[in-house]
Amino acid sequence: MTVLAVDGLVKHFPIHGGLLQRQVGTVKAVDGVSFAIARGETLGLVGESGCGKSTVGKTILKLIEPTAGRIVLGGEDITALRPGAMWPHRRRIQTIFQDPYSSLNPRLPAGTIVGEPFENFGIAQGRERDDRVAALFQRVGLRADSMRKYAHEFSGGQRQRLGIAKALAVNPDVIVADEPVSALDVSVQAQVLNLLIDLQEEYGLAYLFISHDLAVMRHISHRIAVMYLGRIVELTDKRTLFARPLHPYTEALLSAATAPDPRRRRRKKAIVQGDVPSPARPPPGCHFHTRCPYAVAECKVTSPPLREVAPGHHVACHLR
Amino acid sequence: MPAVSAILEVRDLRTQFDTLDGVVRAVDGVSFDLAPGETLGIVGESGCGKSVTALSILRLIPPETGRIASGSIRFEGEELTTLSEEAMKRLRGHRISMIFQEPMTSLNPVLTVGTQIAENVVRHTGASKRAARERAYEMLDLVRIADARRRLDEYPHQLSGGMRQRVMIAMALSCDPRVLIADEPTTALDVTIQAQILDLMLDLKEKTGTAIVLITHDLGVVAETAQRVVVMYAGRKVEEAPVEVLFDNPLHPYTRGLMRAIPRLDVDAEEGGRRPRLQEIPGLVPMLTRAIVGCAFAARCPLATERCRAEPPPVVDVGSGHTVACWEVAP
Repeated sequence: MTVLAVDGLVKHFPIHGGLLQRQVGTVKAVDGVSFAIARGETLGLVGESGCGKSTVGKTILKLIEPTAGRIVLGGEDITALRPGAMWPHRRRIQTIFQDPYSSLNPRLPAGTIVGEPFENFGIAQGRERDDRVAALFQRVGLRADSMRKYAHEFSGGQRQRLGIAKALAVNPDVIVADEPVSALDVSVQAQVLNLLIDLQEEYGLAYLFISHDLAVMRHISHRIAVMYLGRIVELTDKRTLFARPLHPYTEALLSAATAPDPRRRRRKKAIVQGDVPSPARPPPGCHFHTRCPYAVAECKVTSPPLREVAPGHHVACHLR
Repeated sequence: MPAVSAILEVRDLRTQFDTLDGVVRAVDGVSFDLAPGETLGIVGESGCGKSVTALSILRLIPPETGRIASGSIRFEGEELTTLSEEAMKRLRGHRISMIFQEPMTSLNPVLTVGTQIAENVVRHTGASKRAARERAYEMLDLVRIADARRRLDEYPHQLSGGMRQRVMIAMALSCDPRVLIADEPTTALDVTIQAQILDLMLDLKEKTGTAIVLITHDLGVVAETAQRVVVMYAGRKVEEAPVEVLFDNPLHPYTRGLMRAIPRLDVDAEEGGRRPRLQEIPGLVPMLTRAIVGCAFAARCPLATERCRAEPPPVVDVGSGHTVACWEVAP
């Protein structure tokens, strides 16, 4: 059952310059992205800095307005909803950030922060709210008596647990998790990943899991979408993606990743050279052609559409 | 590794900082050797003391708040802990060089990259300005910056993150150092750029014979690059081994825990479509403001006994250059 569907999502940011701050260009941060996520499923969105993966997340959360495309949450089109009309839908989609510290009010006790959504949505108050907050604390692995502590008194992993508790408070269908474990040490990262998987299985949560870390992606995702300069270049189930990547960029990403095993040192050298082009001036045609070892003349001219080349396996490449 | 051949010998290093909460024992009795031309990985999580170890070797501990409390650091036989600041300045960027995680903070934003590299060459070798600029060009070319001649006149902000790190490497290697200390050199970079920079560092090491101390939290980066690895926890060395030995047969419970905690990219661990649980290391790193009596890992260790909490563990040599500080392994 699809809980979130995104169709042809576009987000352009204007670039202002010159003395009069006129618009001098456009960053096509997200340039026609489509996918769907089912209940209980994790869709991983992977890519390097500037590929637009975080902008996809923010647009879906309606923290920024999409330029074009459709966002359908639980069967309802929320694309054009103004903040007021969006409010009741916010219960169904929540977020977890990379740095929980910046999203936790330093002047409020943790229990109050986690309990805010109960008040905001009129779910519970007073004693009942406190009981539910205590239950949430326990569910995410925090001691209930730490409700009186302030954000700075928690460790990085505990703060991420607080962020998760706050997201869970309103019993959402979808959680957008943007690099939720990137700032954590590996021993703590394992705790948070295990918790996220447990919660998903318990509540049937759908995750849009945004990360640059392929190993984390492989662990937590069911399906993975690979983004490059605003577009999805490959989308398939994770087993297929790691066993038979079809897009040259996916291949490059996988070959560039380091494995914690000295006997499996990358035999071949990095297969892509150079840097990612600026999203303000993406190359014409296939955005990847400037770094692609297989590019042909057509790649420089026409942009390849995302096509289904095998059941559930989508690739945007002229050569596949 | 026999001590005679070592280019850098660190012995019982203790580095401390004064904070409002008391004295932080950031590095608490660490010893290791670096052989000429070798790549030594120092791995551990935040706060384990790996970066402070690097700063101590370079004598870059801010004197207002911290100090090398005791121990010895010998570089080519010369004691660095007591060397004058003037002599240290002649050493840094010349015989011992360094690169850090964020090149933007180590590059001067108002000078062109060519000027910055040339300055270092002039300062340390007394070369003429013209020769130093030529050296800067050679170095940019060596680190595979395309169109190096033109890039000499660009400012750091005009370069991408990967290119800035290449410039840092070019500058660090411009005076043919014997030792390069690289503190999380690829952590801020995207994965395809990280691969390029790691390839570059290893290639240049082959060419120049510079020994590298690579400090990282990333076991993948260590496995990819290091010949020998030191694992640190709470300011102490808990294990040291040649890289294959460490990954094949980690002995310290902390090293084992770390290796089981990371999601694996190279192994399909899934059974019946279910995602496996990662092994967690329960609890938190101890406060370094209090002296730790026994083993620093005892509070989180599944094997800890009363003795572990009461007495510091012996360093056990299990052969093939593999040492581990653990009562469980002690005979």
